Amino acid sequence: MPKIVLENVCKRFDDFVAVENLNMVIEDREFITLLGPSGCGKTTTLRMIAGLETPTEGKITIGDQVVFDSEKGINVSPAKRDIGFLFQNYALWPHMTVYQNIAFGLENLKWPKDKIKERVAEMLQMLKIEEFEKRYPSELSGGQQQRVAIARTLAPSPKVLFMDEPLSNLDAKLRLEMRTELKRLHVDTDSTFVYVTHDQLEAMTLATRVCLIKNGVMQQYDHPLETYSNPANLFVADFVGNPTMNFIDATGKVTGENTAELNFFGKTFTLNAKGGLKQTEETEFVVGVRPEFVKLGEGALTGKVYATLPAGMETTVKLDVDGFVLTSVEFGSVDYMVNDEIPFGIDGENVILFEKKSGESLGKGCVTL
Amino acid sequence: MKNKQPLGNRLKSYFSKPANVICIIFLVILLATVVLPLLTLLIGSFTVNGNQEAIYIGQGVMDGDFTFNHWKELLTSRDFDYALIKFWRPLGQSTVMALLACLVAVGFGGVVAWFITRSDLPGKQFISTIFVFPYIMPSWAMAMFWENFFKNTQINAGAGMLEGMTGICVPESFVYGLFPCAMSLGLHYAPFAYILIGGILRNMDANLEEAATVLKASRFKILRKVTLPIVMPALISTVLLVFSSSISSFTVPFFLNKSSISSGNNFISISVQLRSLINTGFTKGQGYVLAIILMLFSIGILTLNNWFTGSRKSFTTVTGKSGQVSLVKLGKAKPFVAAVLFIIVAFFAIMPLVSFAMESVLEVPGDWSTFTLRYWLSSEGFEGSNKGDTIGILRSSIMWKALGRSLLLSIIVSLIAGTFGLLIGYAVAKKRNSKLATFVSNLAFFPYLIPAMSFGAVYLALSYTKGFTWLDGSFILLMLVGSIKFMPFASRTGTSAMLQLSGEIEEAAIVIGVPWIKRMTRVLFPIQKASFISGYLLPFISCMREMSLFVLLAASYTTLVTTVLQEYSRTGLSQAANAINLLIIVVVLVIQFVVNKLTGASIDKGVGGN
Repeated sequence: MPKIVLENVCKRFDDFVAVENLNMVIEDREFITLLGPSGCGKTTTLRMIAGLETPTEGKITIGDQVVFDSEKGINVSPAKRDIGFLFQNYALWPHMTVYQNIAFGLENLKWPKDKIKERVAEMLQMLKIEEFEKRYPSELSGGQQQRVAIARTLAPSPKVLFMDEPLSNLDAKLRLEMRTELKRLHVDTDSTFVYVTHDQLEAMTLATRVCLIKNGVMQQYDHPLETYSNPANLFVADFVGNPTMNFIDATGKVTGENTAELNFFGKTFTLNAKGGLKQTEETEFVVGVRPEFVKLGEGALTGKVYATLPAGMETTVKLDVDGFVLTSVEFGSVDYMVNDEIPFGIDGENVILFEKKSGESLGKGCVTL
Repeated sequence: MKNKQPLGNRLKSYFSKPANVICIIFLVILLATVVLPLLTLLIGSFTVNGNQEAIYIGQGVMDGDFTFNHWKELLTSRDFDYALIKFWRPLGQSTVMALLACLVAVGFGGVVAWFITRSDLPGKQFISTIFVFPYIMPSWAMAMFWENFFKNTQINAGAGMLEGMTGICVPESFVYGLFPCAMSLGLHYAPFAYILIGGILRNMDANLEEAATVLKASRFKILRKVTLPIVMPALISTVLLVFSSSISSFTVPFFLNKSSISSGNNFISISVQLRSLINTGFTKGQGYVLAIILMLFSIGILTLNNWFTGSRKSFTTVTGKSGQVSLVKLGKAKPFVAAVLFIIVAFFAIMPLVSFAMESVLEVPGDWSTFTLRYWLSSEGFEGSNKGDTIGILRSSIMWKALGRSLLLSIIVSLIAGTFGLLIGYAVAKKRNSKLATFVSNLAFFPYLIPAMSFGAVYLALSYTKGFTWLDGSFILLMLVGSIKFMPFASRTGTSAMLQLSGEIEEAAIVIGVPWIKRMTRVLFPIQKASFISGYLLPFISCMREMSLFVLLAASYTTLVTTVLQEYSRTGLSQAANAINLLIIVVVLVIQFVVNKLTGASIDKGVGGN
C-alpha cells in the first residue's frame, strides 16, 4: 500500500521560491493536512505530489513507484499515479449530468458499461445524492456539488486522495457536516488522504498529522495535539489554536538545565520545565500562554476587564494588564463588568518559552512567582 | 545553478505538455507564414524588382540590385510633386477619412450601445439584432448603397434612390470622395464599436454605479466619473482598431472615388494608391514601400492599443452577480427616441438590401417602368473577360462555380483558422505568463494589422519567388492567405473562451487519465461551444465577403464570387453587380442565422461581446 515520500523537493517560479527543500513521509492510510497562510506553498506541494505541477528539483515516491525524480528525468503523468484530486471549486463539468460526471473517469479506464453503472449507483448512494443523478451541476447547491465532486473523485477507488481546500466554498454549518463525513470516508475508503487548508481548526480536527508550512518551508510536522501543546516555534504557536496564544515579552535568563528566571508584568517568575530547556545565552524571551491557562478569579496578578465575548459554551475574556491585552477562555458563561479589576493567575504545565530572536521554542513548564 | 536537471530531461518534460508543443508548432508556422513573407516584402522594398523597374530607375542598375531608390522617390521626390501626389496627399486624406470614420463609428455605435444596455428602450432585441447587419455585410456594401442612394443626374451618374423619390440632387462631394468613404466606413464599423462598448457596459458590475448613486452623485456625474472611465479602454480600443481598418480599407475608396479630377474633388486613398503602384511594372518596389508604411501605422496602433488596455488601465469588469441594472427611464422621450433610433438603424441595416434588390431589377435606377429580371435570369452572353458569363447572374456558370468555390474556400479557411485559433487560445491560457506564448499570440494577431491589400501583395511577391511559383494563382494559395489573415479573430475568441475556463476543469480530467484529444473534444470544447463556434463563424463570414485580399491573387481558374462581382462592376453591368452583392449578403446572413440558431454562436460573441 502506498506510502508517499518527498525528498528535497523544491519549486521555483523564476526567482520566487514556492517550496524550499521539502522532506516528508506520508504513511499509508494517514490523513495529512498541509496547513499555512495563503501563498505559503501548500497547494503547490499538493499539486506536485499529484503531478499537476512539475517540481524544479527533488524526488517523489508513491508506494514503490518513483513518480518524479529530477536527476533521473522521471516524471509520471498524474493519470498514472493512481490518485484522486478534489478541487476547491469542485471543477465539475457543466455540460455533463451528475451521472456523466461520475462515469466519465470510469469510461476512460475502459470499465464495462454495467460495472460503471453499478459503481456510479454505489457512489451516489454512499454520498446520498441518488435523486440528482440526471441533473446538471448548475442545478445543484454548493453542498450537493461538493458531494458529486467527491463521488467523481472516489469512483475509480484511488489509493491516494488529494484535496485542495474542498470545504472553503461551503457555509459554516455545511462545512462542519462535511468534516464529519470526510473523516468517516477516510475510514470507509481505506486510502491515504492529503488535505490542504488554511483553516487551523479544520486541520486539527481532521488530520492524523499536520504539516505546517510558512513561505515554502516546513515548520512542523506532527500530530495535531502536539502542534497545539508543543509548537516548534512562534509561527506554529500563533497559527494553531483559536483564540490564539498569548505572547508575553519577557526578559531574564536560563538559569539551569530546566529552570529559567523571567521578568514580565512587572514581576519575576521562575519557570520549571520538567522536560528540560534548551540552553541559550539570550536574555530576551517570549512567554507563550494558551488562553485556557489564564485562570480568572484567583491568583497573584491583577488585570482590568477590557471586553467579554460570551459564546455560550465558553467565554473569552480580554484583560488589560499594564497595556498588554491578555486573552483568557473560561468554560461556561461568565460575565464581568467592563473595567472591573480582577485577579488572575497562570496555571498548568504548558507555558512555553520561546527565544525572542529566533522564535524557536526552548521548552515548556509551569511558572511560579 | 537554477536548474540541476539535465537538459534532456528538461526537454522531455517540456514536450510532454501539449501546450508547449502547440506553442512551438505555431511559432514555426507563423514564422513561415507571417514573418517570412513580411521579410520578402521588406527586401523587395530595397531591391530592383524586374527589368522594367531597372529601366525606370536608370543609373545602370540591374534586376535584383540593392537600391534605396523606392523609398527616396516615393517619400521625397519633387519632380512634378511626385512624392506629394503619390504619397503625402493620399496619406493625409486617408488619415482624415479614417478619423472621421472613427468618429461616426464610436458616436453611433456608442450611443446605441448605451441605449441598449442602460435604458428602458423598447424593442432592444430587435434593434440589437439588425444593428449588426452592416458589419456582417461586406465593407463595400455600404459604399455601394451610398452610391445607389445619393447618385444623381447632375453629376452624370444616373438617378439614385433619393433623386427618384424626392428629386433632390446632392453635390458630387457628397456622393464620391473623402466624405462618403468616411461615412460608409464609419457606418460599417459602428456595429463593431457597439459590440465592444456594449460588451463592457453589459459586463460592468452595476454595483459600481449603484455605489455612486448611493453617494448621491447625479446621473450625469456617474456617467462622467464612473461609467466613462471604465468604458474608456474599450472606447480607445475601438477607435484604434476602426482607425487602422479604415485607413487601409481598399474596397470602399475603390467604389467611391469615381469623381473626375477636374471637379477638384479627387480623392485617392493610400490603399488605392498602393494597388496602382503594385500593378504597374516599374513601381512595384514603391508599392512595397507603401505596404510597409501602412503596416508600420498598424503596428504603432497596436502598440498604443496594448498600452491603453494594459493591465493597469484595464479594469476587471466581468462579474457573475448583480444582474439588475437600474435602467435609465427615458420617460416621455421614450417613444420618440425609440422611433428615431429604430428608423436610423433600420435604414442602414435594411435599406442597403432593398437598394441592391431594386438596382438589380431596374434598367434605369429609380424608374419602375424599366423593371426587368434580365440581370438575374437572362442567358444572353456578355463580353466579360471570362468566357461563359451571362448577363443573368443566376444563369452564369462562372458565377455559380465561383460561388461554390467561395463557399468551399470559406469553409476550409474557417476550419483551419478556427482550429488554429482554438489551439493557440489553449496554449496561451495554459501558459499565461510565458514569453513564448505571448509572442505566439501576438504573432497570430499580427495578420489583422496587415492591410488586406498588403497581405495580398506579400503573398503575390512570394508566389513569384523561386521555389514558390507553384503557389501562383492556386487554390492552396487562397486557402493559405485566408487562413492566416482571418486567424486573429479566431485566436482572440479562442483565447478569451479558454481564459474563462478555470484550469481545474482540465486538471480534473487529467487526474482520471483522459488523453489530451479527448479532453479537448469531450470537456473543453463542449463547455465553451458557443464561443468556439463563433471563432469558426467569424473567419467564414470574413472570408466569404472578402475582396481586397484575393483581388490580386485569384487567377481565372480560381475565381471567387467577389472577383466575379468586381468583374461585372468593372464592365459596367452594375445591375448584375448589385444582384451578386445581394446574393453574397443573403448567403452570409442565412448561414450566420442558421449557425446562431443551431449552436448559439454569434458574431458579437466572437468580437468580444457576451
